[in-house]
Amino acid sequence: MQEKKPTLSLDNSLIEAVKNNNTQVLKNLYVHNYPKIEILVLKNSGTKDAAKDIYQEAFLAVWQNIKQNKFVPQTESSINGYIYTIAKHKWLDVLRSQGYKKTIVASQLEHFEIKAEENNDIDDDILKDKRLENVMLAFKNLGDACKSLLRKFYFEKKSMNVIAKELALDAASTRNKKYRCMQKLKEIALKN
Amino acid sequence: MDLQHTSQEEFEYIEKYLNGILEASDLKTFEQRLQNNAEFKLKVEEYKTLFTGIETQALKEQLNVFHKDIPNNTSHLTTENTKVHTLNWKRLLVAAVLIIAAGSFWFLNGNSNERLYAKYFTPDPGLPTTMSNTDDYEFYEAMVFYKQGNYKDAISKWEILQKAKPDNDTLNYFIGVAYLADKNEDSAISLLEKVSKNAEFVFVNDAYFYLGLAYLKTEKIEKAKASLQNSTSENSNALLSELND
Repeated sequence: MQEKKPTLSLDNSLIEAVKNNNTQVLKNLYVHNYPKIEILVLKNSGTKDAAKDIYQEAFLAVWQNIKQNKFVPQTESSINGYIYTIAKHKWLDVLRSQGYKKTIVASQLEHFEIKAEENNDIDDDILKDKRLENVMLAFKNLGDACKSLLRKFYFEKKSMNVIAKELALDAASTRNKKYRCMQKLKEIALKN
Repeated sequence: MDLQHTSQEEFEYIEKYLNGILEASDLKTFEQRLQNNAEFKLKVEEYKTLFTGIETQALKEQLNVFHKDIPNNTSHLTTENTKVHTLNWKRLLVAAVLIIAAGSFWFLNGNSNERLYAKYFTPDPGLPTTMSNTDDYEFYEAMVFYKQGNYKDAISKWEILQKAKPDNDTLNYFIGVAYLADKNEDSAISLLEKVSKNAEFVFVNDAYFYLGLAYLKTEKIEKAKASLQNSTSENSNALLSELND
């Protein structure tokens, strides 16, 4: 069909852009999808801060699942729907948890029912991995120089040559620096 | 977890493997080693976790940067009814002053439909335009104009393409939402009506949503409701329930 064509080329580039952490694409997705989640959380006993937290968790889970090909979006709106569904589940989990149970009347949750088919295919457990949490915490608190270097490689996905130029170093020294930063991170992560 | 040493050479070797760029000849040796050497396997998994952890934490920090750019008004109207009791006098005073200041403007120019429209209307974010090797170069070039808020140029570029493909839904949809963003509701309505008739269209929910907004803007409330009813998006439902109040 004629009208499918632009969306097809969009999908491949969109998935690739998400996998490569393209800042503009991730930002568009992030900013575009947030308001709906905020409304959902605010209407269901939550605060703005809670909305932000739950949304960011959901966003990271969706991003991971796209990277690992666990979720292969067909269109941009299917990513949007997926983010919404995951965030909704996460918020529902919060509401079901002990702290909230006492304060919420069941009737408040009525427009919050989850359809059976939405329940499938949701796998965001990766972020609950303890070892991954340790690494994330270690990276968060890593010294600025190492943090910035590793970020360029693994998040911004810049090439060795570009990074070497930015640091005014030659490629061999940059590689060695990256190696040493990685060992340092590994050490801290293991101590946790 | 092991604390054994990894040399730089071994680290780079493992990294190549995890990035999927190990040469075919090395790959076989690597995979054999993975199979036969549990300690090595553990090491590889550990690096995989390290890479994922760096990337995830970096994105997490990036999300907070993105968050600063989210317009602050989305929740304003939804929180106001629950928080009104906690307002203190000082805040009320400030609010009163603001209302008095803005009052004449508000009452002369505002009506509830226009306010609802302003609350719900944000232009469709458009499609990502990151790849340059697309077949639809012209389409995405216009998309760049659209995203810059330069709706008139986007429309004129798209309309050239539209002549060749008058029935392309994606094209008609974006011309429609561009017209709406450019405050030309009548042109928007005719295009959005056309594309929303195709139930297979990928943006059909968005098309109904914007069509509803266009009707709202032109004070055709019943048509607005009918159109919003056809959309399953959260925004449409929220707007519909406000219209029905």
